[in-house]
Amino acid sequence: MERAVPHAVPLGQMEVFQTLQRLHMTIFSQSVSPCGKFLAAGNNYGQIAVFSLSAALSSEAKEESKKPVVTFQAHDGPVYSMVSTDRHLLSAGDGEVKAWLWVEILKKGCKELWRRQPPYRTSLEVPEINALLLVPKENSLILAGGDCQLHAMDLETGAFTRALRGHTDYIHCLALRERSPEVLSGGEDGAVRLWDLRTAKEVQTIEVYKHEECSRPHNGRWIGCLATDSDWMVCGGGPALTLWHLRSSTPTTIFPMRAPQKHVTFYQDLILSAGQGRCVNQWQLSGELKAQVPGSSPGLLSLSLNQQPAAPECKVLTAAGNSCRVDVFTNLGYRAFSLSF
Amino acid sequence: MGAVTDDEVIRKRLLIDGDGAGDDRRINLLVKSFIKWCNSGSQEEGQYQRMLSTLSQCEFSMGKTLLVYDMNLREMENYEKIYKEIECSIAGAHEKIAECKKQILQAKRIRKNRQEYDALAKVIQHHPDRHETLKELEALGKELEHLSHIKESVEDKLELRRKQFHVLLSTIHELQQTLENDEKLSEVEEAQETSMEADPKP
Repeated sequence: MERAVPHAVPLGQMEVFQTLQRLHMTIFSQSVSPCGKFLAAGNNYGQIAVFSLSAALSSEAKEESKKPVVTFQAHDGPVYSMVSTDRHLLSAGDGEVKAWLWVEILKKGCKELWRRQPPYRTSLEVPEINALLLVPKENSLILAGGDCQLHAMDLETGAFTRALRGHTDYIHCLALRERSPEVLSGGEDGAVRLWDLRTAKEVQTIEVYKHEECSRPHNGRWIGCLATDSDWMVCGGGPALTLWHLRSSTPTTIFPMRAPQKHVTFYQDLILSAGQGRCVNQWQLSGELKAQVPGSSPGLLSLSLNQQPAAPECKVLTAAGNSCRVDVFTNLGYRAFSLSF
Repeated sequence: MGAVTDDEVIRKRLLIDGDGAGDDRRINLLVKSFIKWCNSGSQEEGQYQRMLSTLSQCEFSMGKTLLVYDMNLREMENYEKIYKEIECSIAGAHEKIAECKKQILQAKRIRKNRQEYDALAKVIQHHPDRHETLKELEALGKELEHLSHIKESVEDKLELRRKQFHVLLSTIHELQQTLENDEKLSEVEEAQETSMEADPKP
């Protein structure tokens, strides 16, 4: 497993090493700071880089503004998921979730504020955490990953309150349904499960691969991405990207995209999705493809929309995936520039 | 000090009338001819007239310059007015842009709702109409009732027949019993008669 550069290496080799590192880098997760001016990106080496969006978007931006302001080694393994509260950056990957203070991050040598590990059933192997979800009403964090359970952690006390069991294979993605506070989780077993947080029970199960219209057995039945809009849900991955009406559990629209999608989100009246393939796809709810905007990475793993009210001038869409670059889209129609690790 | 002011003077004069033709030359000529006329002493009408005409030419050009100056001032005012108007319309356009952006968001929300409605409507269309299903249900219910009536009547008939057969069979059994009893009685009577015949012999 590659780590940060060891000290006793001559200079030329270090540069070669760094170039090789950048070549094989995958950026798994992104998170925007609460002030809206910084973007943190986590990669497969366990490093987190913080970019200054306001500097890169300003009119005097130079090449250095597209480099990170600070990069630090956060985890031993890849950083699969990150979320931001209004003061902290929470990152998770190799079985632990760590918290960092946003105001401290920009200084060199930042130390984590705390780290926690959810109670796993076996202590032999530590399963990875694939997804984090903040539930602001309860001030709690939901973690899900390799041990097929959803763990709920209270952010004030740090105690793990509940473990929701039901998935039979590891969980890829989480989404929050705000009106009735329910959590949706999608995983490798092909089912999207809705959990009620108050009763800690599974309320609804949608087995996507069982519906003929959207299942694609040659891709598998895994659910790679989830997004919800309270009444509606979009999910994709092995089966085709489909829009579901949650109350009746019926698939209403199937988006004709062959490549499995790894990240999907609702935005205004569109659905943005990205996955295998260079482009960020924009769909209308009726199933029509409105636009396909190519990015700079051969495959995309995460999309992030900076809608923080404190920084309206930094309102951009950022996309990152199988490369060391984060594409910045100021207008959904074209890629403005790329930030690079 | 004198050199500086000279430079200034020269600069100003070059700026105003750099090419040397026109007013400056005319004023110089006037001054020269006036001095000549004063020194000549002879009352030549021609020189006097020429001087007067030069003077009036100078006055004319001065009048023209004053008018041009007025015009420039008024143009300046006009431009200031237009500038302010343009600023106002820019501010107005900014507001309209903000309004239009809000309207776009609203329209996008409406479009999203419409598309959601369409998506649900498409799914609903796949299912058959509720009235037809209700009618079918009613028809099926009536058929069910009818069939159950028939079943009841058939069962009643079956019961009746069963009872009748039961009566018949029991009557036959009784008859059989009676016949057997009669046979036994007649056998017993015969036996008694033979024993009575054997007895009176001695």
